[in-house]
Amino acid sequence: MSTVDVKVDIAHVTKQFDAENPEQGLALADVSFGVRTNEFVAIVGRSGCGKSTMLNIIAGLLDPTEGEVLINGKPVKGPGLDRGMVFQHASLFPWLTAIENIEFGPRNLGVPKEKRRELAQGLIELVRLKGFEDKYPRELSGGMQQRVAIARAMAMDPEILLMDEPFGALDQLTREDMQHELLRIWESHKKTVLFVTHSIIESVYLSDRVLVFAPHPGSVRKEFSITLPRPRQKSSTEFMRYYEEIYEAIG
Amino acid sequence: MRRSADKARSLKRKGVTDFQIKLITLLGLLILWETLSRLGYISPLSLPRPTRLASTLWDLSVYGFPTDITVWLHIRATMSRIVQGYLLATVVAIPLGLIIGRSYLLERGTNPIITFARSVATISLLPLAIAWFGVNELSRVLLIMYGAFWAILTNTIQGARSVDTNFINVGRMFGAKRSRIFFRVILPATLPRIFAGLKIALGISFMVIIGVEMIGTVEGLGALIQQARFFYKSDMAIDGTIFIGLLGLILSVLLDWVERLLLPWAVGLEEVKR
Amino acid sequence: MRTARLRQGLMASWSGFILLIVFWQLISSVLITDSSLFPGPVQVMRSTMQNLALARLLQHLGISLQRIGLGFAIGAVSGIILGVTCGWYRTLGSVLRTPIELVRPVPPLAWIPLAIIWLGLGESSKVFIIFLGAFFPVFTNTYKGMTTIEPNIIRSAQMLGLKGSRLLLRVVVPATLPDIATGIRVGWSYSFGCMVAAELIAAQSGLGYLIMHARELGITAIIVFGIVLIGVTNLITDYLIQELILKRKLRWHFLGTEQV
Repeated sequence: MSTVDVKVDIAHVTKQFDAENPEQGLALADVSFGVRTNEFVAIVGRSGCGKSTMLNIIAGLLDPTEGEVLINGKPVKGPGLDRGMVFQHASLFPWLTAIENIEFGPRNLGVPKEKRRELAQGLIELVRLKGFEDKYPRELSGGMQQRVAIARAMAMDPEILLMDEPFGALDQLTREDMQHELLRIWESHKKTVLFVTHSIIESVYLSDRVLVFAPHPGSVRKEFSITLPRPRQKSSTEFMRYYEEIYEAIG
Repeated sequence: MRRSADKARSLKRKGVTDFQIKLITLLGLLILWETLSRLGYISPLSLPRPTRLASTLWDLSVYGFPTDITVWLHIRATMSRIVQGYLLATVVAIPLGLIIGRSYLLERGTNPIITFARSVATISLLPLAIAWFGVNELSRVLLIMYGAFWAILTNTIQGARSVDTNFINVGRMFGAKRSRIFFRVILPATLPRIFAGLKIALGISFMVIIGVEMIGTVEGLGALIQQARFFYKSDMAIDGTIFIGLLGLILSVLLDWVERLLLPWAVGLEEVKR
Repeated sequence: MRTARLRQGLMASWSGFILLIVFWQLISSVLITDSSLFPGPVQVMRSTMQNLALARLLQHLGISLQRIGLGFAIGAVSGIILGVTCGWYRTLGSVLRTPIELVRPVPPLAWIPLAIIWLGLGESSKVFIIFLGAFFPVFTNTYKGMTTIEPNIIRSAQMLGLKGSRLLLRVVVPATLPDIATGIRVGWSYSFGCMVAAELIAAQSGLGYLIMHARELGITAIIVFGIVLIGVTNLITDYLIQELILKRKLRWHFLGTEQV
């Protein structure tokens, strides 16, 4: 892979959680890979393979025991405005309405009222939640909440979007809707995306590249480039072939 | 907060647990107290030092205060009142609560009465009880009963009302008669909530009895500290207060233990709000 | 169908209430011979109006409310501040919580004798008891709220650039508000009980004192009146706190739940 365009460089990252129990606590062992600008990379694997840990380290919410994560060449030292994150559930601020949630980041930066309201309104329309701006998270369905979560992360215009099984808590139909929505949004607002999921189909449907993580200890077992043009047919033979290969790689 | 998960683990690695911090703090405070008192910074009259408290404890156990009423007799008096009032309340409130809880109209009908009765401060009934029954054990036990009664009743009603109809339907599907359903399905399903009420009621009983004992009696932990106050014996008052705290703790631990015994499947369902 | 049932329920509630009053009056006038010892509702009102000047009554009521207002305010505020502090700085929290957890099993009333020894027989000893009544529930609930916030809320806020005191004030505290509200409700009702007890045992003014004094004078009617008045005041203040303050500010929490 060309070293010229590496947006996110994960370099020999190891994460040890429980020093007394070296075998149990080794979440990640010497993981290295790179992500290009505006590339959509999916990380798949069984539970416990360290994929969420990896994402949290890239986000800056956890520190690696060894190794480092470089973004645009500079090492990550904590959460930053260059990265936005969408969690699986319970991440919206329940005391704020949908639009206030979205405005939260800009408000914290001191963006004046009209500007941030305009920005937030635009994002509400982008995620197709017009009419629900003044609803509280409690009043929104799971899918709607995740749309707000995406809009909220996008409000900071991060270069990199990290998504930790964002559709995992949704029912199948809503999940498929959201996959379309995400692609639509991504295609109009290009960003580098790192997407963790345990659904192989989801990973093949959405991403340019799929990294298969293996557990004990967590590491990249195999890498797949998905070269199909989008939108992809989940029933096509090529799609199925990717599915089979990845399934086998997971083991 | 950022690396709180990391930090919690690193603290554990150093072998410092939450419990140890608390223990060290406690010992530290006691030593500080003793030292400051000996150095003369704390008046021994208002805040006697721990060693003095310990010797007074001995006096209370052996000689008693007022004379011959040892702290054990005080505890026994307080406990007997609590037990009597509490048991009386339980025996009436639980069956009554189950009956009311299963009938929508009964529940609605009794609701205003119960709401009002609950909002009456139990201890405010003491003068009335004295006027009617005199200054005696009967008044005290009745007061405890009143305090405990409403907490148990309301929780039992709530519990009986909210039995999952699925449970009842399953019982019906097994062909059980009404009375069988009542005893085998509704009662066990209500028990966790009843226990929540029992715990709250115990706390209330405990608070009420301490207050009640401060008026018109010399036996009982509440009476002990009140007497101590009259004679400005702050060491006895503190010792008495410590005993009260310990007793309260023991009672609630006991009740938790009973709950775990009877309802191993439902421990911790209801949160204690105090 | 549903509204018919609700209406029936409402009627049942009212009937229950009216039945109680009627029953009360019946017992007192028919069954009990010495009506001064078991006054019916009518007798209570008449006797009270004869023997207790409205001005005096209002004075006692005012003093009681003042005491509980002050004690509760101090208790709630310190409970919140300490709860937030102990929840935010965990090590400091473990240290501070040690004396608090040690004192907690002791019912506030048990502090009355010591409070009098230390603070005398004046207002401060009573306010202190009321303060204790409010403090512990508020503290416990606030601390619990602080330590059980959804982790993803904190993480999201961090990803949006918040840290330190901003994270605390703009995210953590708002997320804790429902638990703080619970603490306030419980704390108020405990304070109320403490106030009544403290006034009964060790005061020369206030509603609690009023009842005690009435017993000394032998006017049972005023005792009953006082008891009822205390109960009604409790209900009203509870309602005020619940509806006006809490539900308004915490609309977002109660949405979709029919009953608190």
